[in-house]
Amino acid sequence: MPPDTTYSVQDQLDELRQAYIAGLSARVDQLTSVWNTLSPEAWDTSALETMLQLIHKLAGSGATFGFTSLSNTAHTIERYLLDIQERNDPLTSEEYTQISALMEVVRMVAKDPTQHASTLAWKPYLTLNQHLSGAHSRLVYLVEDDLLLARELALELEQSGYTVRTFAHPRELEQVVHDAPPAVIVMDIMFAEDRLAGITGIAQIRQFREVTIPVLFISARNDLPARLHAVRVGGVAYFTKPIDVPRLIEQLDQLTVSPRPEPYRVLIVDDDQVLAEYYALILQQRDMVAKIITDPLHVMVGLVDFQPDLILMDLYMPDWNGLELAAVIRQQQTFVGIPIVFLSTETNLDKQLAAIKLGGDDFLTKPIQPERLIASVVARVQRSRTLQSYMMRDGLTGLLNHTTMKELLSTEVARAQRQATPLTLAILDIDNFKQVNDTLGHTAGDWVLKRLARLLQQRLRATDIIGRYGGDEFAVILPNTDAMVARQIFEEICQDFAHIQQPDDSTTIPITCSCGIAAFSDDHDSNSLNEAADSALYGAKRAGRNRVVPAGAQEQSMPT
Amino acid sequence: MTRAALNRVLLVEDDLDIQSVAQLALEAVGGFVVEICSSGSEALDTAPKFCPDLVILDVMMPGMNGPGTLRALRELPDMVETPVIFMTAKAQRHEVEHYLELGALGVITKPFDPMTLSATINSIWSQHYAA
Repeated sequence: MPPDTTYSVQDQLDELRQAYIAGLSARVDQLTSVWNTLSPEAWDTSALETMLQLIHKLAGSGATFGFTSLSNTAHTIERYLLDIQERNDPLTSEEYTQISALMEVVRMVAKDPTQHASTLAWKPYLTLNQHLSGAHSRLVYLVEDDLLLARELALELEQSGYTVRTFAHPRELEQVVHDAPPAVIVMDIMFAEDRLAGITGIAQIRQFREVTIPVLFISARNDLPARLHAVRVGGVAYFTKPIDVPRLIEQLDQLTVSPRPEPYRVLIVDDDQVLAEYYALILQQRDMVAKIITDPLHVMVGLVDFQPDLILMDLYMPDWNGLELAAVIRQQQTFVGIPIVFLSTETNLDKQLAAIKLGGDDFLTKPIQPERLIASVVARVQRSRTLQSYMMRDGLTGLLNHTTMKELLSTEVARAQRQATPLTLAILDIDNFKQVNDTLGHTAGDWVLKRLARLLQQRLRATDIIGRYGGDEFAVILPNTDAMVARQIFEEICQDFAHIQQPDDSTTIPITCSCGIAAFSDDHDSNSLNEAADSALYGAKRAGRNRVVPAGAQEQSMPT
Repeated sequence: MTRAALNRVLLVEDDLDIQSVAQLALEAVGGFVVEICSSGSEALDTAPKFCPDLVILDVMMPGMNGPGTLRALRELPDMVETPVIFMTAKAQRHEVEHYLELGALGVITKPFDPMTLSATINSIWSQHYAA
């Protein structure tokens, strides 16, 4: 198929979709007005038939235009209605409650369809977009009128494995973004004629493109209005000039390596199954994963097995109330930080405050508006995930910190033992790091540490666990990898590191690293494995640095 | 049976939005000559005049549904052997088998990908005539 055809088809499909979105609320209004004539008391088979036809159409068309979960919801309603039609009896009140709840979800989507589509991803058309983004997953568009800066930055990004196209003005971007969307746009804010031209340019692109391309702003402006404007048009980061390039690259990596964050996990504790399912549906509409527990006594099992990001809990349940349950959860160290949001018909402010005092993070009053529920859950999960990541990660490199690495090493060792799979631990450090720091200064030293961190992230698999033990010492846990394979991988990494660009062109100090590796075997535990890798590293140092030495081999490789 | 060329496609689908996506998918992407009907009874009227190589039938339509339309089409002298593909949302396996027993070449599930719909149809078509 010639590419021209594909694009024009894509355009036409986009138009059809726009038309569908425009008509969606009328469709749903019609559906609602038919549904309103039905109830357990007022029964009408011809209205049921009409309702069935409308809901069937919605189920069929929603997913075609990208509203997959709208389709799923409509399909669930359709199944209820078909059952009712088959047994030819009026609605039961339970069915009425269920369908009403589902209809509420349908209306919620119809009220603001584009917002839902962007989070749902438009499946049918993704084949084309995915193909494009797959081919250009490291394509970056850089818009910067300072040509010298543009060239320097482009060079640095290219060294880190990105393909960069530079543009001198935002308006040059409009058509190109449409034809070949990049993975990320890096946009300057001030241009000759307008101190906010970069922002306006992005706003214009956003107007015509559903699929949002992440934008990083770079600017000499550091004032709050500029930053606010940047956030308003959806900028994901803001770098002031002179640009901290390693941090910019870090941000790019985060955006391009895992474009989809793990879905939020919400544990719903409510003794009312129907209501719990309604909340679950609302959250699933926003691509969250929900698990329902109706018996409060099962909550601890749910916490451990499901590992939720947040607990949504009914305040009044038979036998055990939500406050007591929250207190029990908070008494366990592992769950001290997990957000708990209470749900209740309680409108008494004092009682609400009491609930918050006992460990709740928010209080939502029933009946709950879907938007309110979503906003409360999303805000709390986001913050708690960020905090968690601060606690687990090393501030300079963004790698896992020593404590986290130690925990993960014992988990992985236990797993390897249980499943009888290989596991290798590598410990690296930078050769003569003190000399690097003393000669070039601490900024250059930090730069070297970040470079090694980045190289490890680039070269290793997503399943490998990378951390910084502290100082210039790094560690990598490689599950399902034996010592021989690990040795090859790290030999390449060491070689590449030795050839990496120096922090300062005038430098003549060689910057290299050494690495010791140890494979897990039955006579090891996590401590002795760590010691074995560490002494192998020591062996590498004594053997002359800039090399990889496996545990047990250093005796032979050592000069006698 | 000798391999016949697939050129003219009659689509019977009651949802206007899906009609337009399917039309685009079949005409612009697949290069077929396409005629569209919004109901089974309209199809009975149009089919003999249009002489399709293939009929794509939505299963659930108000009035005459997909299988009903197929039975009625088979009563028409020109349409006794014209191949038919059903289109349906979330078909269970036994439902698919049922549609195939009615004499359909295949079943396409909704939502379909407009970029690959024609390829899917072509492959159902050639599989059928290769057998």
